[in-house]
Amino acid sequence: MSTREQRVVDVSGLPTVVFGPRALLWWGTLGFIVIEGFTLVLAVASYLYLRQNEFNWPPGRTPNPDLLIPTISVVVLLVTMYPMYRADRAAKEFDRAGVIRWLLIGTALSGAACVLRWFDLLALNVRWDTHAYGSAAWMVVVMHATLIVLDFFECLVLAAMFVTGRAQKKHYPDVSDAAGYQYYISLTWLALYLIIYWGPRVL
Amino acid sequence: MRRPSALLAALLPALALAACGHRDLSAVDPAGPQAARIADLTWYLTIVGSAVFVVTVAFLLYALWRGHRRVENYSGEAAERHIHRWIYGAIGVTTLILLVTLIYNFTTGRALANFAEPDALTIRVTGHQWWWQVQYVDPVPSNRFETANEIHVPVGRRVRIEVQAADVIHSFWVPNLHGKVDLIPGYTNTTYFRADRAGVYHGRCAEFCGYQHARMDFLVIADPPAQFAAWYRNQLRSAPPPADSVQQVGQQVFLSTRCAMCHAVRGTDAGSHVGPDLTHLASRGTLAAGTLPNLRGSLGGWVLDPQSIKPGAYMPPNPLKPDELHALLSYLESLK
Amino acid sequence: MSSTEARVPAGLLNPAERELMERTWRPRGGVWGWLIATDHKSIAKRYIITAFVFFLLGGIEAFLIRLQLARPENHLLDPDQYNQIFTMHGTTMMFLFGVPIQLAVALYLVPLMVGTRNVAFPRLNALGYWTYLIGGLFLYVSFFLNTGPDAGWFAYVPLSGPQFGAGKRVDVWAQMVTFTEIAALTAAVEIIVTVLKQRAPGMSLNRIPIYVWSVLVTSFLVLFAMPSVALASTAMLAMDRLVGTHFFNPAEGGDPLLWQHLFWFFGHPEVYIMFLPATGYVSGIIPVFARRKMVGHTALVLSLVATGFVSFGLWVHHMFTTGLPQLGQSFFTGASLMIAIPSGVQIFCWIATLWAGRPKFDTPLLFVIGFIVLFVCGGITGVMIASVPFDQQAHDTYFIVAHLHYVQVGAFVFPLFAAFYYWFPKLTGRMLSERMGKWNFWLFFVGVNVTFFPQHFLGLMGMTRRVYTYLPETGWGPLNLLSTVGAGIIAASVVLFLANVVRSLAAGLPAGNDPWGGHTLEWDTASPPPPYNFAHIPVVDGLYPLWERAPGAPVVTGMAAGKRQVLVTSVMDAEPESIYEHPAPSVWPLIVALAIGVTFIFGIFTPWAFLIGPALMFTPLVMWFWPKRKEPHERSFAEEPA
Repeated sequence: MSTREQRVVDVSGLPTVVFGPRALLWWGTLGFIVIEGFTLVLAVASYLYLRQNEFNWPPGRTPNPDLLIPTISVVVLLVTMYPMYRADRAAKEFDRAGVIRWLLIGTALSGAACVLRWFDLLALNVRWDTHAYGSAAWMVVVMHATLIVLDFFECLVLAAMFVTGRAQKKHYPDVSDAAGYQYYISLTWLALYLIIYWGPRVL
Repeated sequence: MRRPSALLAALLPALALAACGHRDLSAVDPAGPQAARIADLTWYLTIVGSAVFVVTVAFLLYALWRGHRRVENYSGEAAERHIHRWIYGAIGVTTLILLVTLIYNFTTGRALANFAEPDALTIRVTGHQWWWQVQYVDPVPSNRFETANEIHVPVGRRVRIEVQAADVIHSFWVPNLHGKVDLIPGYTNTTYFRADRAGVYHGRCAEFCGYQHARMDFLVIADPPAQFAAWYRNQLRSAPPPADSVQQVGQQVFLSTRCAMCHAVRGTDAGSHVGPDLTHLASRGTLAAGTLPNLRGSLGGWVLDPQSIKPGAYMPPNPLKPDELHALLSYLESLK
Repeated sequence: MSSTEARVPAGLLNPAERELMERTWRPRGGVWGWLIATDHKSIAKRYIITAFVFFLLGGIEAFLIRLQLARPENHLLDPDQYNQIFTMHGTTMMFLFGVPIQLAVALYLVPLMVGTRNVAFPRLNALGYWTYLIGGLFLYVSFFLNTGPDAGWFAYVPLSGPQFGAGKRVDVWAQMVTFTEIAALTAAVEIIVTVLKQRAPGMSLNRIPIYVWSVLVTSFLVLFAMPSVALASTAMLAMDRLVGTHFFNPAEGGDPLLWQHLFWFFGHPEVYIMFLPATGYVSGIIPVFARRKMVGHTALVLSLVATGFVSFGLWVHHMFTTGLPQLGQSFFTGASLMIAIPSGVQIFCWIATLWAGRPKFDTPLLFVIGFIVLFVCGGITGVMIASVPFDQQAHDTYFIVAHLHYVQVGAFVFPLFAAFYYWFPKLTGRMLSERMGKWNFWLFFVGVNVTFFPQHFLGLMGMTRRVYTYLPETGWGPLNLLSTVGAGIIAASVVLFLANVVRSLAAGLPAGNDPWGGHTLEWDTASPPPPYNFAHIPVVDGLYPLWERAPGAPVVTGMAAGKRQVLVTSVMDAEPESIYEHPAPSVWPLIVALAIGVTFIFGIFTPWAFLIGPALMFTPLVMWFWPKRKEPHERSFAEEPA
């Protein structure tokens, strides 16, 4: 029996820990961003659709939403992007101490954003069951709230993994993904904040 | 004037003609210009569509037969080019047919929409679960009246139907006269039609609206103008007082039991609009939204136990004693 | 080594490594092993069987409908039962059968066809299946407890709203939608990431099989369509019913049409989610049975993409009678007509390939031919009802029922049966009986036409949809009876199919790797495939790898046999980029799915479930991702401490 001539492609030298579009989890995170983002787009579209059924917006004697706390809240969320960005940079350099430091700061700010989000809801100055405007505004704010709560817990668990020393090399790209997710959450909230809190003054 | 398509349309129900009492709900047997335009489009679509189907299936069968006879595949660059030319041709023909269809659609749609006219007879129809409230709207208040489940229109005059929904979504559909229009809570939709020949046209609710969606029919009766005017005048009148003692007892039964809680009879104290207006009940062709013929026996059965005929309807059973029922029916039959 | 043994060239797995690979990928046995499985093939087979069970249940519901309507004024079902049954029929077929089975077949075939070992996120895949199963069980348990939904599969408000939709029936429906939507979204993400990033080296974009393209496009449709129905049913309708929001209440600024827009924005792509993979099956099967490469590969791929895009621009054609402005409606007519063009391109390419090849009339090809005939008919009635004036007569009548069944049964189920007959040998290692297959086909084809063709006429004769009975004077009796007879023929055909499956599982001809002479990679491994799919990942150098491959074609080496490794490649050209290690099978996806179940099932009774449920979910989610301690000699580089 003769040896068969078998050409091979040897991949033994390929890395097993990669960042960005080379990593499967990056694409998975992107997939969820697309799904959640599009759901938010549809929620906003529904909010705007309902506008056409009313003479005034907010309708009746409902006051405009407050601006003070929501503005503080959106600033906090935007600021949270910075420690996450630094955590991302540290992760790419496999700098454990750096990751821990910036991830903890990011987690704390994310937690603050969650608390502020409760006050954002109160600042709407309307209940969800008063009329369709109230329902739509609450829906948008609550939907986004679930995202920041999710993000907070994700950062918390990642931070716990690194602090307890249980994190492995493959978790560094997860920190980068968490940073990317944070950018998405903060920037979408900027857009939603403008629509929900400033929109009634303009629409 | 019967259009030629009506003769062809007879072929369809020919498969299914039942005994007399046959109801014609054909979308291809138009009795007015709106339905006629749609019927023309329907024939165009059916004929062109059938032709496309036959040609495509013929190509498919030919391809299978030809391929089956091959000894070797037809491939190579020249072959691919040849095949592509046929495919481009097919795409071209398809696109052309679709374009022509789109244009024909658009012109038909525009003609249907342009049928509006300010002088049309205006009728407001409000859909309830599972009956039709009909109000004739006139600028002069004393020329308005309300009825239920039956609409009369004069032949040759445009009619504007404004539809609203009292509870859930319904849909107003009289196939012989026009396409359907939905009744959506919070909206008033408007449709226009004209009946060009006298007759009785059946209508149905065409949007699932709960338990008795299946039994929510109505009649549109096109009368010659003089007959219509007479009908209209009669509908404007209040109910006449009871003519004899039996009807007197019947009216008493009506006013003192549950009937008056839901039904109005103009000329009496009964003024509730929860259920259909019964002022001219006896002038109508059907009962319970097209479910039963308007005969004494059906009316009796309906009054005693609506749930056995239309389970889920909001009319409760009325256990009346036989003499009470007899008197009530005589009274109701007097409401012409 | 003696000269009678084949010498193993350097790099290929030696027998000891093979043994290690078998052990690494072997699933755990027993019930526990079944609960924690993450092999895409096991999960896909479960999905397929579950979806097929729902198909049978939906079919029984359809048969009950046909029995009730066989005669005027029939008393088999009362209005309440009938309304529940037709709602369950539509809901089951669309949510529990149609979408899941297409995604399930994709979850099975895609990793094999692109030359990888598993989908991108195996545990997420398991989560998707369990969530789907919980949703389906929830719906049916509720149905058998007389709390099944009864407002139609489309649940229009206000009939489905708090005022007119009494009890919890519609809430059950809304939450079932949530479960199936989560499952569909996870499957879609799996397919997209697997196709984009795990293709075998050399499988550049222009070498991706058409079937894989079809499910890739479908997955994008899922990504953008599912959120719409999820938002409408879970966030809006369920909330209107549970906590008093007013999204659809016109008295407080809400709008019943908002429901219709959101529902149909999902609803129209939904039917393409079922249809596009069906065209993928056809494009995969025709070359094999015409024994010729497909005509117009690029055109077929572009048609899939075009259909996907345009399908998002059609939804208003379900709302032509709601009183929307005429000009706007015309746009949707235009788009609805336009989508016929890419479909036409596909049909022309298929017919051309059959013409230019040498067709072999085995059962899969018969189902494909039946599909083409039925699809052309359904497509033409589709063009008819895309025309607004005609639709204003046909909408909500049996004409629509006829159309939708020609395209759903004809253009989706027929290719699905073709796929069953074609890929059954790969899944099970046995062939289905050809003789029973041909009977199956003919009974089904005749049955579908006898059932649904008369319904076109019924619609034009005024028979509206969703009616539990009708009067004899309408004259609809004879055609309804004929339609019911057809349903009986369909039932016989399905029973025959089941008999074929049972018999073949026990005693069918052994299939071997490649019984049909296929051209895609799944035929290059055993039937059924080993858990790791390919001992060596193939390298692809053409669009028809198995037909064009030279002997000694290259394979991938250098992947560790003792780890669950998959090769990650670049999006455009499938150049190897990295190696990803999959986690071990795990029970946490099942636990998380149960927590999701608790959240949404109790969510129909109290809004607090939406706090308690996620709290329940927290720990299992953490456990899912929490890294296991490993001894230094067991660790790969990725598992080294950070």
